[in-house]
Amino acid sequence: MTTPLSLSGLDLPRRNGELAFDAPWQGTVFALAAAVIEHAFGGDREPFRQQLIKAIAAEPDRPYWESWTAALEALVPTLPERSTP
Amino acid sequence: MSSSAHHPPPVSPVEQRVAALEALLTERGLVPEGFIEQITRRYESEIGPMNGAKVVARAWADPEYRRRLLADGTAAIAELGFGGPEGDHMVVVENTAIVHNVIVCTLCSCYPWPVLGLPPAWYKDPPYRARMVREPRALLAEMGCPLPEEVEIRVWDSSAEVRYLVLPQRPPAAEGMTEAELAALVTRDSMIGVARL
Repeated sequence: MTTPLSLSGLDLPRRNGELAFDAPWQGTVFALAAAVIEHAFGGDREPFRQQLIKAIAAEPDRPYWESWTAALEALVPTLPERSTP
Repeated sequence: MSSSAHHPPPVSPVEQRVAALEALLTERGLVPEGFIEQITRRYESEIGPMNGAKVVARAWADPEYRRRLLADGTAAIAELGFGGPEGDHMVVVENTAIVHNVIVCTLCSCYPWPVLGLPPAWYKDPPYRARMVREPRALLAEMGCPLPEEVEIRVWDSSAEVRYLVLPQRPPAAEGMTEAELAALVTRDSMIGVARL
């Protein structure tokens, strides 16, 4: 077991790990969900999670990031109006 | 992939839908300049199972840290600089000689992102989500992690409020290793609980 481990975190020992996203749009939909959670719901993940649960239950075999897309599409019309800070 | 500048690959329907979402959310002021690049870059280069491995190695090396980690996972993980909105309320569950913990998210795919990165494909699949609750011992054996009958299996269903991380048992051969060497022993699957070290 001689795999070097850089504690700077730049040298990534991704042993049996996944290498991030398979396509750029997957990273985009992930980041868009993060943006909505952070900037529209003040960090509350629950509204998005409820939509994701519904999206997965509706089509259990749909590819994962497509379910995220469907969940986000369903969430958009419910977004709270932004209040002035 | 053999796309060239002259023949860009066609844009798939889902790509179009995501582009439309991006435009809409940006127009509503929810996506600051550079936000998408920042998040995806973090997940591609800074966030992944190596973060969880450092947490586990510290817990193995430092009994006081281990106590803090089991008492308040979120705070102890933040000590090492890992955290953020995708991972608050982390609970760390410890494997012992007689207890084996495994994590699942039955309803969607909640996952301790800041310490494990992106979930593996099988974690998101319906069979894993359903069977890990119904027949964990059989599924673990199929996944290459057979457990003796006397070992109790505890299945932790993640939720929006709580994300779990398994603290694997320190391998006996790890005696005398440095923290960096210990971290190199830790696998993602052992921190999900579908493997033992």
